[in-house]
Amino acid sequence: MKTKTGRSALRPSVSSRGHYTGQSAPRKRWLTIERKETMQGLLFVSPWLVGFLCFALGPMLFSLYASFTNYNITSRMDFIGLSNYERMLTIDSLFWISLYNTLYYVAFMVPLTTAGAVILASLLNQTIPGKRIFRTVYYLPAVLSGVGVYLLWMQLLSPSTGLVNTVLGWFGVDGPAWLFDPDWTKPALILMKLWGVGSGMLLYLASMQGVPKQLYESAELDGAGPLRRFFTITLPMITPIIFFDIVTSTIGGFQVFQEAYVMSESGDGGPQNSLVFYNLHMWNKAFEVFDMGYATAMAWVLFTFIMVLTLINLWLGKRWVYYEGGDR
Amino acid sequence: MRERTTWTWPRMAVLLVAASLVLSACGGRFGGGGSSSSNAGSNTNTDSSNSQAVEKVELDFWTFWGSETRRPIIEKIIQDFNQSQDRITVKHTYLPWGDIWTKNLAAIAAGNPPDVIVNDIATVAQRAENKQAADLSAYTRKEPVEDRFFPELWQAVTHEGKPYALPFNTDTRFLYYNKEAFREAGLDPEKPPGTWAELEEYAQKLDKKNGDRYERIGFYPTWGNWGWDSWMINADNGRGFVDQEGNVTIHTPRKVEALKWINNWTDRLGSSTVNAYKAEFGEQQSNPFIAGKVGMIIEMATFYTQLRDYGQDVDFGIAPIPEYEEGSGHYSSGGGFVVEIPYGSDHPDEAWEFIKYLTDVEAQKYWAVKNFDNIANIEASRQAAGSDELSETGRMVYSEAVRNLDVTKMFPIPAFAPDYRSLLNPQADAALQGDKMPEEALEQAQEDVEALVARNKQ
Repeated sequence: MKTKTGRSALRPSVSSRGHYTGQSAPRKRWLTIERKETMQGLLFVSPWLVGFLCFALGPMLFSLYASFTNYNITSRMDFIGLSNYERMLTIDSLFWISLYNTLYYVAFMVPLTTAGAVILASLLNQTIPGKRIFRTVYYLPAVLSGVGVYLLWMQLLSPSTGLVNTVLGWFGVDGPAWLFDPDWTKPALILMKLWGVGSGMLLYLASMQGVPKQLYESAELDGAGPLRRFFTITLPMITPIIFFDIVTSTIGGFQVFQEAYVMSESGDGGPQNSLVFYNLHMWNKAFEVFDMGYATAMAWVLFTFIMVLTLINLWLGKRWVYYEGGDR
Repeated sequence: MRERTTWTWPRMAVLLVAASLVLSACGGRFGGGGSSSSNAGSNTNTDSSNSQAVEKVELDFWTFWGSETRRPIIEKIIQDFNQSQDRITVKHTYLPWGDIWTKNLAAIAAGNPPDVIVNDIATVAQRAENKQAADLSAYTRKEPVEDRFFPELWQAVTHEGKPYALPFNTDTRFLYYNKEAFREAGLDPEKPPGTWAELEEYAQKLDKKNGDRYERIGFYPTWGNWGWDSWMINADNGRGFVDQEGNVTIHTPRKVEALKWINNWTDRLGSSTVNAYKAEFGEQQSNPFIAGKVGMIIEMATFYTQLRDYGQDVDFGIAPIPEYEEGSGHYSSGGGFVVEIPYGSDHPDEAWEFIKYLTDVEAQKYWAVKNFDNIANIEASRQAAGSDELSETGRMVYSEAVRNLDVTKMFPIPAFAPDYRSLLNPQADAALQGDKMPEEALEQAQEDVEALVARNKQ
C-alpha cells in the first residue's frame, strides 16, 4: 500500500518535466528514464549491432561448425567431430612451432614496446628545447604503415650493407645476419616494432598531461626527486592507459602475420620455420592447401586462447590499475 | 506487476516489427541487387540476339598478366580469337598475382566462377581432387590434343588418368657462364663444366680475391633460380620427393650427398660471405651475374631478356645443368602455368574452344616470341626457336631452352600431400645451416612426410 502511494507521489514530478503529458499512466511507468536511456543507447550502437548480426555472427557460427568438419571450400563438408582439434594437438608439429614463435614474439614485443613508449613519452613530457620536433620525429613511423615499412626494414637489416649492422660495426660489433639467421629473425621483427612505438607514446603523452599538476607540486614540496615523482605519481596515474595498451597489443601480437609473410622468402615462414607464426600457419592451411576445416579449428583455438589471456589480464588489472573515479 | 506485463507487449511487438524490418531490409538488398543485375544481363542478351542471328556467348577469362609487357600480348591473342569466329567473345579480367587464385576459389564456392583461368601447373591434382577444375576428358576423347604438348607437362595436368587443364607456358633452368671471366681464369670459354666435380674445379679458378674480400665468386650452388631441392633431384636421377603413388623418396643416399656437397661450398667460402652476398641479391638492385660478381649462375631461360636489356656487355655462354657424375643426367627443374575451366563455369563448351585456341600453334608461338617465354606446344616451340623476330643470340638461347625441356622435370604436388614442403623445408634448412647432419635431417623429413601421406591416403 505504501509503495502505491509512493508511486503516485512521483507522477506529478514526471509529468511536470513535460515528457509524458497526454499519455496514460501505465505507459509512463514502462518508459522510465533508465529504459529510455537504454533504448537510446541501443539506437546509437544499432549500426554496429546490425552489422555484427548480418555480417559477423553468421560467418563466426559457420566457422565454428566448419571446425568440426573436413570443409575444403569447394567439395567436402563432412562432420568429423573433434579430429581437427586432435590433429592439431597431437600430430601437427608446425602447430606447436607456430605457437612457440607467436608466444616468443608476444612475450618480448609487448613489454618492450610498452616500456619503450612509456619511457619515450616521459622524456618528451619534459620541457626541453625542440620537444615538438622530437615528438613529431618519434611519432612519424606510426604514420607509415604496412609493406613499405617491411621492405625498408629488410634493407636496414641486410647483413653486410644494412644500416643496422653498419652502425653496430662502428662500435666493433659484428652484427648478426638478422632475417637470414633463424635465431635472429624474431628479434629482428621485435626491433622493427620498437621503432614504431610512436603511436603508443602519443597515448601516454596525452594521459601524462592529464595528471593534475598539484600532485607534483606537493610532492616537490615534500622533497621528492624526479624519479620518485615518476614512480609514485606519473606511473600510477597512467596505469589505465598502460593496461589498455597491454591488452590491445597482446591481442595484436597474437595476430602477427603480415611481417612474416612479407619479410620471409615467398612467405614460407623464414629460415627453419623461425617466422611461422600462428596466423601464417593458419593462412597456409586455409588458402595454400585449402584445409579450411582445420584452419577454422585453429582460429577458434586462438580465439579461446586470447579470450582466456584477456580475462586473466582483466583480473590482474584489478590489482595494479588505478582508476581515479573509482573502479572503472 | 500484471499491469506492467500486459502493457509491455505492444511495445515489444513494435520493437520486433522494427527489428524484422531492419533485417529484411538487409536481406532485401542482396536479393534485390541480385535479381536486378540478372535482369540487366538478360536484357543485353535479348538485345544482342535481336541484332545478330547467332546468340553470342561471353567468356570471362582471368589472368594475372597485367604488366606493360604481358598485357598487350595476351590481349592481342584474345582479340585474334574473338575475330577468328563469331560465336564467342572473350573478356579479359586482370587480377593481381596475390589475389587471383583465392578469388577464384571464392567464386567457385559461390557457384559463379570465371569461365577460364590461368593457374599453377604444380597444383592441378589438388584442384581436380577438390572439384575446383572441370574434368576435360569428355572433350579430349573427341578432340585429342595430348600430342601438342611436351609429355612431362601433359602428365602434370592429368589426375587419375583424366586431364583437368591444358598446359600453357613452362620454364626451364640452365647454367649461364661468363666467357670473359673464363678467359681471364685460363679456362676454355667453349667448354663449360659438365659434372659437379668440374663445376667445383672451374668455380675455384674463377674465384677472385682482393685481400680477404671476394671480388668475384666463381659459383655458389643455391644462388640464382635454383635451390637445394633442385640439386637433390639432379643428383638422384631426376627423381622427386613424393610420387603420384605416394612413395616418399626424400632420404636417399644421393639426396644426402647433395646436401653435403652444398655444405662443402659453404664451408669453403665461409657462411658469412655467403649470407652477405645472398642478402644483396635479395634486394634485387643488381643481378650478381650481370654485375660480374659471380662467374656462373643457374637461371631460367627468360633470364636472357635481362642480359639482353641490361647486360649487353656480358659475353655469356649457356650449358645444361652439370650432372652428379658422368652419365647420371643433366636434370633440370621446371614449372609453368595452365589454362583451365573452373568447376561450375556456365559455358564449358565455349571455354574449351578458347583454351584449345590458346594452346594451339599460332597463339603459343606469338606468346613465345613476344615474351621470350617457354611454351607448352612442341611445334610452336620449334617454330619460335627459328623465328626471325629473335636475334641470333635469342634463337640460340631459345633452341637451347627447348632442348633442355627434355631433361626438365616437373614436380606436381600430389593431392594427398599438399603441404609436404612445410615438413621438408625446415629440415633441409637445418642441415644447410649446420644445425643438423644432412643424414639425420632427411631421415626425419622422410618419416614426417610418410606419416602425412599415410594419414591423408586412408
